[in-house]
Amino acid sequence: MVDFVQGPLISIAFIVFILGLLFQWIQFFRLTRKKEWGHPPLPREIKPEKKTAGKIVASCLTSLKGTLWKTDPVLTVVTTVFHVLLIGAPLFLLGHNILLYQSWGWSLFSLPEALSDGLTLIVLVCGAYFLGRRLLVARVRAITTLYDYVVLLIAVAPFLTGFFAYRQWFHYETVMMLHILSGNIMLITIPFTKLGHMLFFFLYRFFLGGEYGFLRGARTW
Amino acid sequence: MIVAERKPLDEIKEMIKTFKKVLNVGCGGCTSICFTGGQREVGQLNEDLENALKQEGKMLRPDGFTIERQCNGDFYPELDEIANDYDAILSMACGAGVQFLADRYPSKPVFPALNTTFVGIDRDIGWFEENCRTCRECVLGETAGICPITRCAKSLFNGPCGGTSRDGKCEVSKDTPCAWFEIFKRLKEQNRLENILKIKPAREWRNQTRGTMVHEDYQERYAK
Amino acid sequence: MDQAISNQDMKEVDAKKIKELLNRRKGKMKRFLSYCAHCSLCAESCFLYMKYKKDPRYMPSYKVIHSLGTLYRKRGKVDRKCLNEIKGIVWRNCVLCGRCYCPIGIHVPSMIAFARAVLRSQDIHPQHNEASSESWL
Repeated sequence: MVDFVQGPLISIAFIVFILGLLFQWIQFFRLTRKKEWGHPPLPREIKPEKKTAGKIVASCLTSLKGTLWKTDPVLTVVTTVFHVLLIGAPLFLLGHNILLYQSWGWSLFSLPEALSDGLTLIVLVCGAYFLGRRLLVARVRAITTLYDYVVLLIAVAPFLTGFFAYRQWFHYETVMMLHILSGNIMLITIPFTKLGHMLFFFLYRFFLGGEYGFLRGARTW
Repeated sequence: MIVAERKPLDEIKEMIKTFKKVLNVGCGGCTSICFTGGQREVGQLNEDLENALKQEGKMLRPDGFTIERQCNGDFYPELDEIANDYDAILSMACGAGVQFLADRYPSKPVFPALNTTFVGIDRDIGWFEENCRTCRECVLGETAGICPITRCAKSLFNGPCGGTSRDGKCEVSKDTPCAWFEIFKRLKEQNRLENILKIKPAREWRNQTRGTMVHEDYQERYAK
Repeated sequence: MDQAISNQDMKEVDAKKIKELLNRRKGKMKRFLSYCAHCSLCAESCFLYMKYKKDPRYMPSYKVIHSLGTLYRKRGKVDRKCLNEIKGIVWRNCVLCGRCYCPIGIHVPSMIAFARAVLRSQDIHPQHNEASSESWL
C-alpha cells in the first residue's frame, strides 16, 4: 500500500490531473464558439495609448477601487495570499525539490526551510479563515453543504500533513503517507470538482465576453 | 416600459395563412407586462388563429414558444434550436424585438403580431399611458417633471398656446389637462417659477435618425 | 381566460420533456453549477439582495442552486409543488437585470433564463393576478 502511494499513485495523479484539465479545456472550446465581432459607430476615435509602467500601475490601482477590495478587503487579501501560496509554497519547497532532483536530475530553486514553514502556516491560517467564514457568515452558510467542507479539507490536507511531517509530530511515516495521499487526491479532484476554478477562472474571465470580463472576451456559449 | 397592442386578428391571419408551419414567439419582457405578448397571449392567439383559419377551410395551428426577452441575444439559444423547423415566424415582441429576431434568422419570414405604441407607465392594472417620446433631449428638469412633447397636444415648449380653458383643460378635450397649466402649478409649488420664463431655443429633434449608443466604459472594447 | 389559469395547475408535469431540455444544455449548465465555489461573492452585486436587507435567499448563487440546481439534481423528476417553488425563485426573486457578478465568471442570468425556459415548457409562468400583487415580471 505504501509503495503504491509513494510510487505509481503519484504518476497516476499527475496524469489524471493533466489529462483532466486538458479535457476540460477542450470541452470549453468545443462548447463555446467565436462571436462575430461588430464595430458600432463610435462617437470618438480611439487611439491606442502608449502605456508606460507608471500608467499601468496607476490604472490597476484605480480599477482596484471598483472591485472586491472595496467591499471586503480582508477576504481579498486572504484569498490572494492563499492562492499564491497554494501553488508557490509546494513548488519552492526544499523537500520537494530534493525528490525532484533525485528522480529527474533537475529541480526548481528552493526557499529556506524556515520560510517555507512560515508560508505553510499562513496557508493554514487562510484555510481556517475560510472555514470560519463557512460556519459563521450567514450568506455563505446558506449555500454551504458537506461537499464544501470536504473540498476545503482536500485543499488544506496536504499543507496540514506537510506541516506535521516537517515537525515530525505524530507517527512520521503515517503522516508522510497521508501527506502524499492527500496531495494525490487533491490533484485527481481538481479537474472534476469546484477546484477546477483553477482553470475556469482564466477561461471564463478572459475568453467569454461579459460585464466583468478581461480583455475582449470574444467567445460565447 | 414599452407598451404594445395586438394587431387585429384578421391582419395577423392574412400575414401567416400562406405558410404551412408557423412559430409564434412570445416575449417575457415588456409585452408580457402589458398583457399583449406573453406566453398566455401566445397561446390565446394561436387558438384564435386556428379557429379563424378553420373557418376559411385552412388547417393551420401555429406552435408557441416564449423567450425571456427578444431584444437580447443571450436569451435566444433555446429558440435557435427549433426555429429552422418552421416556414415563418410570428413575433409578439415590440418592434425592436421583432427586428432583432428577423436579423437572427434572415432566411425566415418574420411577422409582427403587435403594433408597438409607446414608452409609458402602468397607470393602473391594464391601463397604460405614454409619458416619453424618446426625444433624446430631456427637459423634464425645467418643466417640473411634465413632458411638453407627450402631454401637450401641440408639443409646445415655451408655455401654453392660449387655448387653455378656465379650469386648466386643453382646448382639444375637456378631459385632457393643459400640460403647461400643470407645469405652471408645479413650478409654483416648488418655488421655481422663473423656469417658465426661460425661452427654449428651437430643438434639433434628434430622434428622427437611427440611434446607436455605446456606453463610455465599453468604447475601447469595440474600437477597431 | 380562467381556463388558461386553471390548466396550469391541472396538467401533469412532463418529466421527459424537462429531462430532454436539461440534457440539451447539460454541458454548459452542469459545468457552471459544479464550478460554483459557493463563495457568496455574487451577493452584493444583486440589487434585490441589497434591497431585502441582505437576505441570503436573494443571492444569485442561492437562486441558481435552488432552481436550476434542483432541476438537475432531481434529473427532471419534479412535481408541480417543486416547480411552483422554483417559479417563485426565478420570477419573484429575480428580475433578470443581468448585473450579477461572479468572480469565476459564471454567467448567472443565462442559468436563471434557462430555468424559466424549463418552467415555460410546462406552461408555468407568472399570471395576471400575480403580476398585480408583486413585481413578478
